Amino acid sequence: MHKQGVGEFPYYVGINSLSELATKEDRVVVLNILGKESSGVTPISHDYSGGNIVFGTGPGKSGKFLPTKTGKIPVYNSIKEGMEAGHKFNTVVVYLPPAGVKDGVAEAVRTNPDLKKVIILTEKVSVRDSRIMRAICQTNGVDLFGGNCLGIGDAWNHVRLGGALGGNSPEESLIKGSVAIFSNSGNFTTTIAVYLATAGWGTTTSISSGKDVYIQYGPEEFLYALDNDDRSQAAIMYCEPGGYYEHNIQTDKPVVACVVGRWKAHLTKACGHAGSLAGSGDDALAKEKWFMEYFGVDSIYTPENPVVSKKGALVTNIADIPEALTAVMKLNGKEPDFKSKGSLSLKCWFGNNQGLNLPEEFDLPVVEAISPYNEQVAALEKQVGAQYRRETLKDASGASMMDPKTQISKIHQTSILDASEKTFEANLVFALCHEYPCEYGEKIANIALNMYVNQHGMATLAAAEASREAGNSPNTVVSAAVAIVGKKMVEPAMDAAKTLVELFQHTKFSDAMGEHDYTEQLKAAEAHKGALLASGSDHCADKMSACLGDGAKSVFIRFLLDFAKQQGGKPSTDAMFAAIWVTLGWGGMKSKKVTKNTLVNLPWHSRIYSTIVGVAASADRHGEDNLCGVKLEDLISKFSFTRTAFLALMGREPSDDELFEFQVLLGLIITNGPGTISAQGAKGAVSADGPEMPGRVQVNKAFIGFLTHTGFAHGGNGYEAAAFLIEQFKDTSLKAADDKNHGLDLDAMALEYANKYKTYKAEQKAIGNLEYAKVPCINHPIFKGKDVNFDPREEFVGKLFEGKGINNVFLDYYHSIVNALFKTKVSKNVYCVNIDAVIAVILLKMVWSEYKAGEMVEADIETASFATFLFGRMIGCAAEIDDHTFRGKNMDTRTPASKCSYVG
Amino acid sequence: MQITGMLWGRKLLDLVEYPHSEVRGPELSVDEIKDMIKRHGEIFIKPVFKGGVGKKGKSGLIGRAKNITAALKEKERLYFAEHHHNNAVAKSDGITYEAAVPADHEVYFSISDNTNYRAPAMTLTHHGGVDIEELPPEKIAVVPFDPLTGLKAFHVSNALADLGAPTPIISPLVQNLPRLWDLYNNYGMTMLELNPIRMMPGKGGRYAPIACDFKCAFDLDDPAWKRLDLPPHVFASDYSEFEQEINQLRTYQGQSDVYIINDKGSITAPTFGGGANAMVTELLGEAATISSDFGGNPPYEKMNEISKITFKYWLEQSNVLFIIGGKANNTDIYETFRAIGDGLRSFFQTHGPRPLFVVVGRGGPNLIRGMGYLRDTLESLGLPYRFFGFDSAMSEVINYAMGINTWMMNGGKEEIMAKLNIK
Repeated sequence: MHKQGVGEFPYYVGINSLSELATKEDRVVVLNILGKESSGVTPISHDYSGGNIVFGTGPGKSGKFLPTKTGKIPVYNSIKEGMEAGHKFNTVVVYLPPAGVKDGVAEAVRTNPDLKKVIILTEKVSVRDSRIMRAICQTNGVDLFGGNCLGIGDAWNHVRLGGALGGNSPEESLIKGSVAIFSNSGNFTTTIAVYLATAGWGTTTSISSGKDVYIQYGPEEFLYALDNDDRSQAAIMYCEPGGYYEHNIQTDKPVVACVVGRWKAHLTKACGHAGSLAGSGDDALAKEKWFMEYFGVDSIYTPENPVVSKKGALVTNIADIPEALTAVMKLNGKEPDFKSKGSLSLKCWFGNNQGLNLPEEFDLPVVEAISPYNEQVAALEKQVGAQYRRETLKDASGASMMDPKTQISKIHQTSILDASEKTFEANLVFALCHEYPCEYGEKIANIALNMYVNQHGMATLAAAEASREAGNSPNTVVSAAVAIVGKKMVEPAMDAAKTLVELFQHTKFSDAMGEHDYTEQLKAAEAHKGALLASGSDHCADKMSACLGDGAKSVFIRFLLDFAKQQGGKPSTDAMFAAIWVTLGWGGMKSKKVTKNTLVNLPWHSRIYSTIVGVAASADRHGEDNLCGVKLEDLISKFSFTRTAFLALMGREPSDDELFEFQVLLGLIITNGPGTISAQGAKGAVSADGPEMPGRVQVNKAFIGFLTHTGFAHGGNGYEAAAFLIEQFKDTSLKAADDKNHGLDLDAMALEYANKYKTYKAEQKAIGNLEYAKVPCINHPIFKGKDVNFDPREEFVGKLFEGKGINNVFLDYYHSIVNALFKTKVSKNVYCVNIDAVIAVILLKMVWSEYKAGEMVEADIETASFATFLFGRMIGCAAEIDDHTFRGKNMDTRTPASKCSYVG
Repeated sequence: MQITGMLWGRKLLDLVEYPHSEVRGPELSVDEIKDMIKRHGEIFIKPVFKGGVGKKGKSGLIGRAKNITAALKEKERLYFAEHHHNNAVAKSDGITYEAAVPADHEVYFSISDNTNYRAPAMTLTHHGGVDIEELPPEKIAVVPFDPLTGLKAFHVSNALADLGAPTPIISPLVQNLPRLWDLYNNYGMTMLELNPIRMMPGKGGRYAPIACDFKCAFDLDDPAWKRLDLPPHVFASDYSEFEQEINQLRTYQGQSDVYIINDKGSITAPTFGGGANAMVTELLGEAATISSDFGGNPPYEKMNEISKITFKYWLEQSNVLFIIGGKANNTDIYETFRAIGDGLRSFFQTHGPRPLFVVVGRGGPNLIRGMGYLRDTLESLGLPYRFFGFDSAMSEVINYAMGINTWMMNGGKEEIMAKLNIK
């Protein structure tokens, strides 16, 4: 049962010519106009078409409207209500959810006798609803389009009905010409139009047919309307497998058909278009054959084998459509509509090899994007550094993580095992800049860090000392000093860093140690003399220039020196200090790993680093011109910061082996992920300042957050193992812990201890005490259960030291202990020696000589142990502070009251 | 989503009271089998496949037995039988015992939505029991009908008369076949096939049209099939774990269609648009891990979930992450690229860095913003990449991705591993 329409179709078709499909006279109603999809797309269609939408519907939304540039589109509860308000229309566009589509169409057909077209955009409409809607529309003489289509666009009439052909800039793709497009793919409707323009072909009417099982407006009726459209000289048909829609087609005009989807013959279920699941006779090969027979060609058109006839050509690649069309039209005596616009050659808009040597054919250069995208790219290039999307960082971090399987923590995706092979200064830089410095980078980092390590005569030292004298733990002592390193103390250096970043931010170079012509920046810097040049009171300026100027690889240091020369002055100490940190952070910022503001904050972090290390040494070790007896000039220019940290801690310089062990020790402590108390303290402090205004975050206060969240249990507990070892070794003849010929029978010592421990354990169990003392730093909840167990982190460090020929009698003893516990049947298998033991044995080895000589007492060892923890952990916490500052949200570490419990 | 065979078919046929042979499941005891043979003289033993599996008879996968020894032998042979058809391999899990139906005629019947007529159509022939494709057109009646009124007795009657079917079979078919429209229409089917229907002579010589095999397919977009309350395992073999996980995100806002192409592939290509899906998968061939269509303007949350699931399954083995689509009309490129970028970052955070080359070909709303976001993400992850605009031929971009894949296989992967310090 169907109404009689145009032509000889066995079903109703109302469209006689393509020119009637989308006209200026069409008046449109959009169902569910305020839905997510429609509200984005409809205003563009409305504006492009000169305001053709009379109203929209949305149940319960009567009285609302959809704003567009052309005016407000009123919204009614129903079509009936809209019609009662006096609106007339002939076209309905459906954006309803799938379950509502059929009812919407039924309502439109029944309510409006003038209805001529219904266009369904909705995806995933059921087959049952599709066949019912078709039947309703056929009975009532309504042309149906879709579902899952993107509507109709007419470049001549400048009208877009439904959907979004051409996206948010229809003019870009729908260029007036002589070719009609019928495509199973909405995306390809636009893409083909863009491709055609590269060969000089524009379009008349473009139809996205959808590719559900039911294609309601199909190729046959399209070609009928093509023949009756004087504007259209040819057509492009993009077809996929499934259905007999293209079987026995007939037209008077040339056609280029693109059939894609041979592989779909292997499918057992639909993927992509629901209707693209072919049977045996309607797969891609069958469709190719239909078209080839119709065109009278014996093969597929390719640039290498350009087979065409006057009737048309078959392609299987949409990129071949423009060329094939030109060839077909040539046989028909027709030239392209206009001069070709661009080409389809590969044009890379963004690219980076990341330092890889790509073969020439793949190393495509980045080219300027076509207009108007080039302007958008240019605007994008002005965004400097990482742009993080803020998110809740409670118990989450973009800086650190712990792998629950391996128990190995990572900082910026680098395991602490790998980090432990790097120097202290390299890790301090890495924490904030996300890139390890090169040799020159380490050199200048050492200068920057050592510059402010001596606190002689400063309030920081006085505060620390007062705190120390009051009997505080090392973290509290350090906190007192750090509280004084407020923003004002570093503001000139931060201003200089900001100036340097802003002067250079839009330059192309990413290697701050390479060559760069900064003529332009020298001119621009005129306005920033105050931030970059030294004043009369800057007594260190000359020394800094001398120290850094010789063989300076840094673009920024060279720039400052040249700028000062140009101005007849000298760079300020703060500016040189800032230049060091900008140099170190530049690569990370350019590669979008760190934010621009991180670079500005680097001098602040640096001063805090130096303060924490500096005040670890008591006030009497800070001389006017020395630290622990080392001349400041030597310290700044010759010392690595690792050596300085050792010096501050122990009051003496380390041997080479000790330096290496100390570095490894600090590396192992860097982080245990964002869940550790120290990291939580740092993150909470940032969160409380409101990182959404990052300028308000007090970096020194964040470090205090970290420091106050360490303590005798977290940071000081490394001493537990040291105390255990002291107990075992204090009465032995051991003088140096690295002495291989120590003469001790470690296995016998361990066995003796194990036997004693066995007795102790039995006694405690007998009296019901299950909280008996455990041997510290052995066994592990993850690395257990095998006959002989190892903590891979301990193994790593063991091998590292073995490779360097470094001996540690305490570590050897620990291995003897775990074996002895097994032999005496205290343990069921050989426990692992865990990573905490490694930390303890390295530390104890450092202080053993002093301890044996009576220069240190056990309390000093505990303090040193705690301070060492603070040094290492400040690397990880600096990373957390910066990460939370530029990625976190205000007060995001809070716990909602509903998640808290009262246990009183 | 398909059902093949009588184990579940009989339950569906019972819903519309359509006659079928006695069908019992694998739980049958020896005594019960003996009893069944005694009552029917002969039984068929058929493997139970999940999903759509056809041509079992041709593959020798239908056993028949007139005694318990033969029945048990066939049970052993067919219980875990493998069925190969084209590229598909299916493994049986169980058997059915089906009573042999003595018959003088075999009928083929099916309903499907026919694209020639753009209407539902019945296909009917009394030359049944064979592959329908093997019959000449004049022996088959294809009858479209109005979906609003459904399949009627006169459709069946006229078709059989036109085919010249033996008179005695017409009446029972006219009486019974229209019921199958109710099954088809009410439970969201896109295909229903009974082949063969064996015309079993009954009392007074009147035939009963006994369904002896059953096949149907359901429309995933029609929730009506859920009313059947079939256990999930019936459809489990249709989808891999990956596909099942992605399918949970199936809503009408944004596509989330996936299909595993090669579980050893090395290019993972989140693809946008049905057209791009067809083209990309065609050209990537076996290099692709999956075929996908994530177009239709998916919201950020959905695209991010899709990315995370896709990366979880496929990134480990992939050389190239290839994000590809044409010039989008309504898909917001910023939202989708942000979701993919965040998914990738999240993968690296939980799994550590992977040697990957990222190739992108795309156009559409918010393109540069989206590319900018993805670029920044890749920069921060240290991954090499090339992004192409929509003015580069999609096929050329695909070829570029294929070339990069080859380079990765020939040492490029190791170079990236060294750069990213992956051990």
